[in-house]
Amino acid sequence: MQVRPRITYPTTTEVDFVVVGSGAAGGVMAKELSTRGFSLVVLEQGPRLEPSQFEHDEFKYLFNNGISNPSPVSWRKTDKEEAKVGAGELLYARLVGGSSVHFTANFWRLHEIDFIERSRLGGIPGADLQNWPISYADLEPYYTKVDWEIGVSGEPGPFDPPRSRPYPLPPMPVKSAGVLFERGARKLGLHPQSAPVAILSRPFNGRNACQHCGYCMQFGCEYNAKSSSLASVIPVAEATGKCEIRSNSYVRKVEIDARGRAIGVTYFDAQKQEHLQRAKAVVLCANGAETPRLLLMSESNRFPHGLANSSGRVGKTLMFNVGAGAFGLFEHELNEYRSIQVTRLLHDFYDSDPKRGYYGGGGIDARFQKYPITWALGGLPDDAPRWGSEYKRMVGDYFNRSMLLAGHTTSLPVPSNSISLDPTVKDAWGLPAIRVTYDDHPDDLKISQFLLDRSMEILDAAGAQKKWVDYPAETATFTAHLLGTCRMGKDPTTSVIDTDHRTHDVRNLFLCDGSSMVTSGRGQPTMTIMALAFRAGERIAALAQRGEI
Amino acid sequence: MQDHVTRRAFLAAAGAAGAAWLAADPELVQAALAHARQTVGSPPPYRFAALTAAEAAGLEAIAMRILPSDETPGAKEAGVIHFMDKALSTYAAARKGPVLAGLDDLDKRATSKWPGTTSFTALTPARQDELLKVIEQSDFFREIRDATVIGMFANPSYGGNQNQVGWKLLNFQAHGVYQPPFGYYDAEARKGG
Repeated sequence: MQVRPRITYPTTTEVDFVVVGSGAAGGVMAKELSTRGFSLVVLEQGPRLEPSQFEHDEFKYLFNNGISNPSPVSWRKTDKEEAKVGAGELLYARLVGGSSVHFTANFWRLHEIDFIERSRLGGIPGADLQNWPISYADLEPYYTKVDWEIGVSGEPGPFDPPRSRPYPLPPMPVKSAGVLFERGARKLGLHPQSAPVAILSRPFNGRNACQHCGYCMQFGCEYNAKSSSLASVIPVAEATGKCEIRSNSYVRKVEIDARGRAIGVTYFDAQKQEHLQRAKAVVLCANGAETPRLLLMSESNRFPHGLANSSGRVGKTLMFNVGAGAFGLFEHELNEYRSIQVTRLLHDFYDSDPKRGYYGGGGIDARFQKYPITWALGGLPDDAPRWGSEYKRMVGDYFNRSMLLAGHTTSLPVPSNSISLDPTVKDAWGLPAIRVTYDDHPDDLKISQFLLDRSMEILDAAGAQKKWVDYPAETATFTAHLLGTCRMGKDPTTSVIDTDHRTHDVRNLFLCDGSSMVTSGRGQPTMTIMALAFRAGERIAALAQRGEI
Repeated sequence: MQDHVTRRAFLAAAGAAGAAWLAADPELVQAALAHARQTVGSPPPYRFAALTAAEAAGLEAIAMRILPSDETPGAKEAGVIHFMDKALSTYAAARKGPVLAGLDDLDKRATSKWPGTTSFTALTPARQDELLKVIEQSDFFREIRDATVIGMFANPSYGGNQNQVGWKLLNFQAHGVYQPPFGYYDAEARKGG
């Protein structure tokens, strides 16, 4: 790989593409377009941090938005209520590399069924369940590309969809939680498997293997062993000499000319000065909340209800992934704070089963859940004292002897669940805050409870001395998974983008991130977002090369 | 479910009062860190930035009942009061008034229940516990409880958790790099147990 100096473009230069967001999708998009010779600028809201700047500081990273979004979000369950700031929370990272920097790196593929569930099950009352316009087979080559281009560790499991190439790296070493989980699940006749993760079990492409420090979930990896876009694809994009990653650049509007074509985007720099970056085409990879928000903020006379929103579907059918979790206490020390969060999972209940009487499926994993502050604040069972000598004793005694079993489930596309612009709340730039309207479909909560019940059985079978619910199966007021808000589809009246990720309404405007997803999968959407971006990058490049943008 | 339920779980558990000890602005946290670095290294007699000596003694007395010094070091040895003082002089400055009002109320309860007592601080630990049980559902107590816990288990750079006594209580060996086996059960599995 020939490395050229990092390029910078003047804003007045019309680049081939401007990409908004540098996360799981934006980083991949930057790599795919720049390596095909296109000039591009990637605009990232947050700063650029080097791995050496990542800290092991729970107070800062988990409680004080060390690298995550500090902007206000208002929240309500239904559109009959007034949304309130603080009633719920979205979590995404705000730096070069986006949430792929701070995610836990659980890395599941969707299964074949996730793309065709509507055909298999029919409609679900209260939801707008649809098939994807592409299949698992269409996406499989790009899942494999993700595996090999960014570095994924794992081994095939009994319920996995077909794969065209093995994992590039062996699974991570099993932790005590994985051993106990496997023991309990096997006793019940279930089929636990190694957890695939976007973390390097061995050195790969000049990057370090995992050092097992334990700071994956919500932290950046200072060893570069987590396969974020910052660690993997962004350096490749920059080495082309065609791609500028412009940090501290907060986009507020996609600009449209009189012909209805995008001409670039207007953004604030670090000093809150506005600039227009011109481009021949615009690709939004800002995440499943920020992408629809940006479209809605880009309304104009021509697009009075928001850009690319002739279907009225921008921001609609917001999906999260649901789930509940339970702790188990064991006789000996597990030391779960060491190494990665998850090493074993269970997909026996992945598929929806009509015999259960409701829609949904999912997975269960065994994991480290709470760093010290979070553990001491709220990790103990409800019947434990909250202060005093006995509290102190239990906090110390249980910390290393416990593990969490976490359920990860489907989230139905409910039309009234949405991202919209809050009519009154503004962020620090004076832009409308994101307003979330979200209430889980009853089936989402039922499958969540089902997996919690199975988790309790597995904890018993594994020999837990005590078990307790950490978070119950209840309507979500928190998420890091932002899905389905600009879905892909063939019908321009019911979807926002086509199978090339081109918006139905604006020929040179493309969207690719969690918003593109038609169904939620069962959790862990980042791998699918990256696979979609590899596929979209290839197709957008081909359109550009053919002069069809 | 999400991989990130921790903060949400905390906010749900703590309510608004506890959450006030969490700054929304990272720059303010940096200011607190700078404060902490300055004062941890300064020679005695220690000067608090936000609290008088009596106020600090009162808050520390409560913290010592929340995380007592028994077989293992507690809030006192961790220097939780220094964490609180930093917070109350920087990002949680808005909480100083309500916190001191709560402390004043506690002192009044102490003197009215046991006439002749000058303050909560002066009570025996058993009497302190008796009084705290009465107010344990109050916003004031919950706020001090959460602040004590955060101070005990946050990085020592924030002023508490001195000598990592909080982490030692958990047997959390912070910031290491490890090789398997990590715990008892994976070690046992490796041996074929």
